[in-house]
Amino acid sequence: MQAHPNRWGGELVRFENVGLRYGAAPETLTDISFSILPQSFQFLTGASGSGKTTILRLILQSLKPTRGMISIFGQDTAQLDKDGLTALRRRMGIVFQDFRLLDHLTIYENVALPFKIRGRMESSYRAEVIELLKWIGLGDLLQAKPPVLSGGEKQRTSIARALVSQPELLLADEPTGNLDPVLAGRLLRLFVELNRSGTAILIATHDIGLMDQIKGGRRLVLQNHHLQVEG
Amino acid sequence: MSSSTDFHNQRSRFRSFLDRFSTDSLVAPDPLTDRTLVAVIFILTFIAALTAGLVLFGSAASARWQALLSSEVTVQIRPQPGRNIETDLTRAADFLKQVQGVTKVRIYSYDETMRMLEPWLGQSSSLGGLSIPRLIAVEIDSKAQPDIPAISKELARDIPGTAIDDHRSWTRRLTTLGNSLVIASAAGLILVMTATALAIVFATRGAMVGNREIVEVFYFMGADDRYIARVFQRHFFRLGLRGGILGACLALIVLALLRFVVAGTEGLRDMFGFGIIDPLSTVGLAIVIAVLAVALFVSLLASVVSRITVHSTLSRLV
Repeated sequence: MQAHPNRWGGELVRFENVGLRYGAAPETLTDISFSILPQSFQFLTGASGSGKTTILRLILQSLKPTRGMISIFGQDTAQLDKDGLTALRRRMGIVFQDFRLLDHLTIYENVALPFKIRGRMESSYRAEVIELLKWIGLGDLLQAKPPVLSGGEKQRTSIARALVSQPELLLADEPTGNLDPVLAGRLLRLFVELNRSGTAILIATHDIGLMDQIKGGRRLVLQNHHLQVEG
Repeated sequence: MSSSTDFHNQRSRFRSFLDRFSTDSLVAPDPLTDRTLVAVIFILTFIAALTAGLVLFGSAASARWQALLSSEVTVQIRPQPGRNIETDLTRAADFLKQVQGVTKVRIYSYDETMRMLEPWLGQSSSLGGLSIPRLIAVEIDSKAQPDIPAISKELARDIPGTAIDDHRSWTRRLTTLGNSLVIASAAGLILVMTATALAIVFATRGAMVGNREIVEVFYFMGADDRYIARVFQRHFFRLGLRGGILGACLALIVLALLRFVVAGTEGLRDMFGFGIIDPLSTVGLAIVIAVLAVALFVSLLASVVSRITVHSTLSRLV
């Protein structure tokens, strides 16, 4: 789990004294500071409602901090225009807790979606998508649609969609939340494999058993609106 | 063998090229909403296309009537004491035949004139030898019209009680009626298009709210506003085209039925003229083209309005 400097020599993500409040309510997140290095592996943990998903949303820039500084891939997000934000998001992959698969598309089409969005010709990615689906054990379900899949198959499809464009940073929100321990362990090994191939991983989870399976894994622990870095 | 492979490769490249622009079905289909919108567009397109068709039909009929009226004048000779009206009619006709621009002169006989008056005066037998004004129908070359005021003055000097009606008041009324119809129809078309645009706005907003999670997924995968707008634009263009084509087809069927009614009814056929109702005539083709253009315009309107709505809604949605 050794972190290596990336090609521009900085952190992938950097939060400095980030605070977030909704309206006049007390801060949901207070003085959050951490960084994510290239090719690193970390868990973001805390009780339900502690703000794990909120931090992922801040990284994805679907939420703006009330105060503090967030830098993604070396760029201050406060200075980003829409095109800049789009370019940053294309370097990240996201696995949603509720999968967010498009039910009217096939598994193949769902996984190929990032390429389609980027305007690539199908002939340039078809083989790549099929190979990935075979690798995660969904090679026989290319033409199936999400409603007929099991929870594990949906989760693997969601992970495949996040990975297919080979992101530098993968964010996963409770990726094993709906799975039995055996399947959860297999998916975790999938994330470890991805990390070995060079992708930095941030998994938001409250499953202590899952985190214990990774020896020496870094933990970002959210408690009482503050973040503590362990490991 | 080689040419077959080349063809296959070219076809594959072409498909890939098309795929690059394809955003098919990325908006989750909502059968109930989609069908309702198609039905609304169908009804509105039908009204708009039928209006456009009828305007062209009415304009052509009005133009035909104006042309007929402007190519004919009527000379009226009132009976005068001490004068033989039959002699006056013959003298007037002889004079008119010599005027340049006059192509045909026809005197309406006493019996023909009485028949024309029958609706107002009843059977001619009961009227005895009633002294009535007599008419001469004069056909003129509409491209080289004679000087009507000069003819009128000449006739009045030679034959007392003569008057020429060149139907100008009718032509003016017809022109006013025609213009009013066109303006009213244009206003109706604008209202129908506005209603269509509003229906698209509501449908697009509804679709965006219904697809909110999908829109968010697109964003997180690196889609920009332009791409998302294109996805919705394509979706609504297709719905608009479907509704538009259905509406245009029904409008064409109704107009075709109207043509059969006109063609099969003697009075109407004479009134509108066979050339107007022939689908292969200039006017007939113009009506078909106008109806199809309305359908295409409605589809484009759906496409453009949905794109604008997406752009204005995105910032509030995500």
